Amino acid sequence: MKRIALFTLLLAVLLLVACATPEPTKAPVPTAVPAQPTKAPEPTKAPEPTKAPAPTSAPAPTTAVQPTKAPEPTKAAEPTKAPAATFDWKQRAGDTLVLYLPQHPWTTAIQPFFPDFEKQTGIKLEVQTFAEAQLRDKVLIALQAKSSEFDFWMSLKSREGLKYYRANYYELLDKYLADPKLTPPDYNVKDFAAGPFGGEKFENKLTGLPIIIEGPVVFYRKDLFDAAKIPALKKIEDLETAAAACMKANPGITGVTLRGDPNAIAYTFGPFLRAFGVNYRDANGKSQLSSPNGLKAVEYYTKLARDYGPPGVVTYSFAQSSALFGGGNACMEIESSNELSTIVDPKSSKVVGKVGVMPYPPGPGGDVPTVLQWGVSINANSKKKEAAWLFAVWATSQEMQAKLQLKGIASPRSSSWETPDWKAQLAGDALRAEWAAAVKYVAEKGSGEVGPPAIEQPTVRKIMGDALDAVILGQKSAAEAMKAVDVELDKAER
Amino acid sequence: MQGTQPRESWLSATDRLAPLLMLAPATIFTLLMIGFPFVYAGYLSLHKLTLGSPTPPIFVGLDNYFKALDDPVFWTALRVNLFFYAVGLLLELVLGTYIGILFGQPLRGVAVARVLAVFPAVIPSVAIGLVFAQMFDPAQGLFNFGLRALGQRPLAWLAAPNTVLQSLLLVEVWQWTPFIALIVMGAMQTLPTEPYEAAVIDGASGWQILRYLTLPLLRPAIVVAAMLRTVDLMRIFDSVYIMTQGGPINSSMTLNVYAFTQGFLFSQFGYASAIMLVLLALTALASASLGALRRRSSG
Repeated sequence: MKRIALFTLLLAVLLLVACATPEPTKAPVPTAVPAQPTKAPEPTKAPEPTKAPAPTSAPAPTTAVQPTKAPEPTKAAEPTKAPAATFDWKQRAGDTLVLYLPQHPWTTAIQPFFPDFEKQTGIKLEVQTFAEAQLRDKVLIALQAKSSEFDFWMSLKSREGLKYYRANYYELLDKYLADPKLTPPDYNVKDFAAGPFGGEKFENKLTGLPIIIEGPVVFYRKDLFDAAKIPALKKIEDLETAAAACMKANPGITGVTLRGDPNAIAYTFGPFLRAFGVNYRDANGKSQLSSPNGLKAVEYYTKLARDYGPPGVVTYSFAQSSALFGGGNACMEIESSNELSTIVDPKSSKVVGKVGVMPYPPGPGGDVPTVLQWGVSINANSKKKEAAWLFAVWATSQEMQAKLQLKGIASPRSSSWETPDWKAQLAGDALRAEWAAAVKYVAEKGSGEVGPPAIEQPTVRKIMGDALDAVILGQKSAAEAMKAVDVELDKAER
Repeated sequence: MQGTQPRESWLSATDRLAPLLMLAPATIFTLLMIGFPFVYAGYLSLHKLTLGSPTPPIFVGLDNYFKALDDPVFWTALRVNLFFYAVGLLLELVLGTYIGILFGQPLRGVAVARVLAVFPAVIPSVAIGLVFAQMFDPAQGLFNFGLRALGQRPLAWLAAPNTVLQSLLLVEVWQWTPFIALIVMGAMQTLPTEPYEAAVIDGASGWQILRYLTLPLLRPAIVVAAMLRTVDLMRIFDSVYIMTQGGPINSSMTLNVYAFTQGFLFSQFGYASAIMLVLLALTALASASLGALRRRSSG
């Protein structure tokens, strides 16, 4: 009897708990506390901006962002001034916007300013943050269901842009940009660098506004280069000679660490292809990997990986490479510009004060790095598109981007790189100055083609990545592997 | 008498209804939570559905299943699944039974060992995967550090097609052998003592006692442990996904990871559903054959 009574009691408690819990199918909607990633179904801890949450994400590149203290300089905490007296920021007062954002340095950097936006516009913000992969799944499912559950999100156009554009998931923004009632007169759209702004367009239609840029660059050990008298890298072939010389002078060290993970390799491989004079596709859309110059690029990259890369390079992405280089076990690292903060993180790094950074050296066929931008977009099914646009404009204004730049968010606006505050930050910090020069170079010269142009980016990148790995592992010759890839890529929908 | 008749029939009607009413919540819940996804996966597997594509699902009949037959990665994944199932189950059962029998002995330190044995099974596989991935790292990992310290040649572990399966299997066996040991130990404690006394009087050797007495008596418990592990080994996902995502070059791809990749990375939900249903059929088959074995051993 006692057992039955206990069991019944337990059941009753469980039922009570079940009734008190919100329905599992509904996303937990946080109350409007904008600066906090409240109740996201993901770990709610704000991401440490010094660690990259995902391959393409962008950790703050400097120590400027301190996750533990509220990152508001006294000046930044002031409410954003209305840039023009004539512009009506209050036109959508009373609306509530739902923002889906990834755990990302941009999110961390801009959230402290959200109360200013609410004060300035009367628009309430509800923020939900997710890990990048979960955000992507959640957003895709909501968009597919034509749901208006969120109004605004951060989208990686190089990965999903074309697909979402074709599926009409993005609200097209040209008409908002052209409307003086909705866009403040001092917005200055021409200030955006051409690469990242163009990356937000498909068939010349604007699907988002860029917020942060990054690109693969070369980090190298200045101390080891000096000790082994390795000259500065002038051309792409110097990567190999420098790696060989550095390995000879420092037995046991890895010459150069770079990406081999098939899903991630396109990001660091792309610039090699262009350095040898070809794009992923020719003017007719034919895949160029097995063309003579394509093969030269493949052979060179895979040789670097195989002969001078770390053991197990085929599993390497940003996290492994930066751990290796930051631990003092590699002469060079080819990685995203955003990795700087991880590499020289005083908590884990053994190479603080020994690192230099530069863009990819030019190749025989040219010098076009890869630039990648994150953008903010509006859900085509949102019911509060104008309020969402006002937020987008506020978040990407010259003033806000300049403030975020000081927090280590590489701005897609040229003006952010010229402000006196930014220049003052760079003065006396050689590494940051080198980093800034490399990112600026990438922004100005870079191509937005991260992987082979196709609608299903993850699929084509994996096909190419697996083939590159087969060459690295010596399972296939470059010609054999790339011929098969070209056949597949020519079939891929674009 | 007449006055009580309607009351009786009312009572018998409630008696008849009561079980149905009581079963109804569980039945409805089961139908909704298991039946619906199963039917929906079946529906999806007969369609070409690409998330993010403006075109609605297109009925393609059994094309997704035929596509699997032509897909070399599907066959690789099937082979990997069977490898994990056959080799993994065998190693876990043999080692687990051995350790379980040891745990059943009144030896020094067994109590501590029993407590420690619980840990691998209760730590989330994701955490285990992350830790092992670091230890397996060829350049910076603990395992190669150990090999170098012993003067051995370092291995590529998860990074080479010819060592990746063994490395993953090592983690799987490390994690789940103690679980089987605990089941076997539990069964050991319920074994009757009389047959052992009789065997000793008859002059049976230790090996004979183990072979002809202990193992046959433990058989029902071992079959239950095997059934539990069968389902888990067939649908192995988390540790593989965390450590290799099926790489390098698909050499550790399992059906579950492949279906996930097709669905959530490549947005091919129709094909992913077809792969999952094939896996479901295989798991059901493996589990049913063990079920038959169990009935035979208990009957």
